[in-house]
Amino acid sequence: MSNEFNKGRRKFIKSAFTVASALAIAKVAPTWAAPQGRSFKDQILTNDEIDLTIAKSPLLVGNKVGAPITINGQMPGPLIRLKEGQRAKLNVTNRLSEDTSIHWHGIILPENMDGVPGVSFEGIKPGRTFKYRYDVEQNGTYWYHSHSGLQEQLGHLGPLVIEPKDGDIGADREHTIILSDWTFEDPDTVFRNLKVAEGYYNYQKRTIFETFEDVRQQGLEKTWKQREMWGQMRMSPRDIADVTGSTYTYLMNGRDSQMNWSALFKPGEKVRLRIINGSAMSFFDVRIPGLEMTVVAADGQPVKPVPVDEFRIGVAETYDVIVQPKQNKPYTIYAESFDRSGYVRGTLTPELGLEAEVPELRQVPERGMAAMGMGAMAMSGDMKGNSMNMKHMGGNNSHMTHKMTHKKELPVENIKIKHRESGHGAGAAMIATNPVSRLHEPGIGLEDVDHKVLVYTDLVGAHEWPDTREPERQIELHLTGNMERYMWSFDGSKFTEVDGPVQFHHGERLRLVMVNDTMMDHPIHLHGMWMELENGQYPRPRKHTISLKPSEKVSLLITADAPGSWAFHCHLLYHMKAGMFRVVNVA
Amino acid sequence: MYGKSLLVGAALLPGLAVAGHAKEDWPEPVKEYYTGQVLFDRLELTRTNEEENLAVWDMMAWYGGDYHRAVFKSEGENVQDDGEPTDLESAELLYGYLVSPFWSFQAGIGTRGTLSSDASMENYAVVSFMGLAPYWFEMDNSLMVNEEGDVQFVSETEYEWQLTQTSYLQPRIEFTANLTDSDKYERQSGLSNLRVGLRYRHEISREFAPYIGVYWNGALGNTADEMKRMGEDTTETGVVLGARVWF
Repeated sequence: MSNEFNKGRRKFIKSAFTVASALAIAKVAPTWAAPQGRSFKDQILTNDEIDLTIAKSPLLVGNKVGAPITINGQMPGPLIRLKEGQRAKLNVTNRLSEDTSIHWHGIILPENMDGVPGVSFEGIKPGRTFKYRYDVEQNGTYWYHSHSGLQEQLGHLGPLVIEPKDGDIGADREHTIILSDWTFEDPDTVFRNLKVAEGYYNYQKRTIFETFEDVRQQGLEKTWKQREMWGQMRMSPRDIADVTGSTYTYLMNGRDSQMNWSALFKPGEKVRLRIINGSAMSFFDVRIPGLEMTVVAADGQPVKPVPVDEFRIGVAETYDVIVQPKQNKPYTIYAESFDRSGYVRGTLTPELGLEAEVPELRQVPERGMAAMGMGAMAMSGDMKGNSMNMKHMGGNNSHMTHKMTHKKELPVENIKIKHRESGHGAGAAMIATNPVSRLHEPGIGLEDVDHKVLVYTDLVGAHEWPDTREPERQIELHLTGNMERYMWSFDGSKFTEVDGPVQFHHGERLRLVMVNDTMMDHPIHLHGMWMELENGQYPRPRKHTISLKPSEKVSLLITADAPGSWAFHCHLLYHMKAGMFRVVNVA
Repeated sequence: MYGKSLLVGAALLPGLAVAGHAKEDWPEPVKEYYTGQVLFDRLELTRTNEEENLAVWDMMAWYGGDYHRAVFKSEGENVQDDGEPTDLESAELLYGYLVSPFWSFQAGIGTRGTLSSDASMENYAVVSFMGLAPYWFEMDNSLMVNEEGDVQFVSETEYEWQLTQTSYLQPRIEFTANLTDSDKYERQSGLSNLRVGLRYRHEISREFAPYIGVYWNGALGNTADEMKRMGEDTTETGVVLGARVWF
């Protein structure tokens, strides 16, 4: 693609809006998200160089014209297909009036190509072109996005698929699905609202009538007990997502539910769905009612196949699933925001124009005692019935049986967690007094569903990773926050309050222990190096982004083989902006 | 490219002020964030049992970061159609510091009195503890010392019952205690005043929420005795119509 071509197209889009907006509708979904997807033997055109132009252009989002940041005139940006072993040559031109950048999420590359302004380079000034050059030494499903300010919220993101050397996609056809959350509000306004008015976007709070109903059903004493801890902590069990469907339009490949992004299949075909959560703030629960999905890759890295009915995808994570629809009928691809404030659906269909039943949003979930770091204590009481192992043992779903294998003891369970004696200061409203491993839990709102939901302990690496050493050193980091002032940090210190990077020694094998001392889920992303999740499986799955549940502790193994400075942060965009960001220096 | 120089730069400048970003002329990956807000918690018209109409405000404005903030607070009322000037109950300029996750300590200066050219204002120094107590009680407790050395304590507490996602029932309680007698300002020591109110608020948006409400105001202790001696009513009730507004 040349720049000239793109300029022409941008002009076309602009005039389409002024002349006939109907014409523009044809342009809303990125061109790569064609219903045909890609078949096994399709030739890939890996142009020697790929030009990407970042600009702000009006586009129809849902039924309204918004002003997203587009990449080559599209939002999300073009699907970039690279081949394992090639040299990536990506020229990014900034046509915005402010600095921009592209970070290649999950790609192992030299630090100066990682695209984080202030850490790996200075950013791309308006009117300038930055030439990204790196050797592609991996394959799988990834994505790319801006690492400048809040640009990601404006749609500055796109999918990145790296073909394996042998070209085998393990299916007859594949579709790439990138989920995102769009708001017509200015992202700076969203951030300020979060800062000055706690709970601004939460329209699912517990009302007094619900309290009355609870008292009627279970008596005053029990209701009081349930409310007591939350009241003392000044937190809400319904505080699940900071930014919700009250402002977000959820998008699948740039289309909302109404526009119904469609993907074609032929009955009996094996279809690989490359699912990317490119949201700024939204975790999604993804399912295709009537179809079993077999998870074959997590964060681009192959895992031993896991059949599931549903999976939760944290912000910035990717999952590859294989489905094999046998019937000649449409299926709904349903991605529900995990706070149940909205959803987006698309359709997997044998012919265009069909749609299947769209499920209702499920009930708003509430956080339980486990979220407060009282997991072990609470479970001994009447909450035991909710403990998911119990529930699932009663299930009669056949592929659920492997759940019943005895839970292996994880290294993290024997690691004593250290809190600073004084707590973590005014920036941390909570300390998980008894953090536990929650890798075997599907997450809030999915504890009691009657089908198989993917959990982190299901993930087994498809093969061994090169470094099999035991860790020599351990680093402990606490995820901390103060909802009232919307402060987010590690160890109680925002990025602006710490005076140096987290130091990794070049070549060492590390164990990173993270403790979530907050009431929110956080997808934590390390740039430049893989994190092997110690989930009791071997080979371990490796991840670029790991989601921590409230009061969870997690351990990961890292080989510090990438010299330089790397970003390490919560991938919830506004948490990062609020300070939940560190630099890791490998030297 | 400049990857090498970057590494060298990082090695030569280990003591960079910032958390490990590599070059001085590069932007910060994450910056400190400053913002502000103007919040009229109460902006209302009041009809008292004495059939007086009052316009009342109770507002706060602040600017700053997460820890340090400049805060301006003001309360006052104007009796409508009586030709009298506005009664400024307080106008305070404070510096606020977040001392714990839910509490900030504020210190500053304030003034109050009648807003007329011939009146003398009462100036005072003030410290406040403002924040959220367990069980979501929103509190502002202030201790004031005026130029005469008179000490006064004022405590305000609000609570919210969530009725629907956009409507609330809000009880409010405010009491004043004088720690010293004041001849100049005719204050008697002891608990002097209690005001209890209840408002029903409905949000048109998060920023604009009209409300209706009622209140009871009563003088207490020595203050009440003194008022009785002067033949004044020691209690007052009223209905209010107003809006909670912020921007």
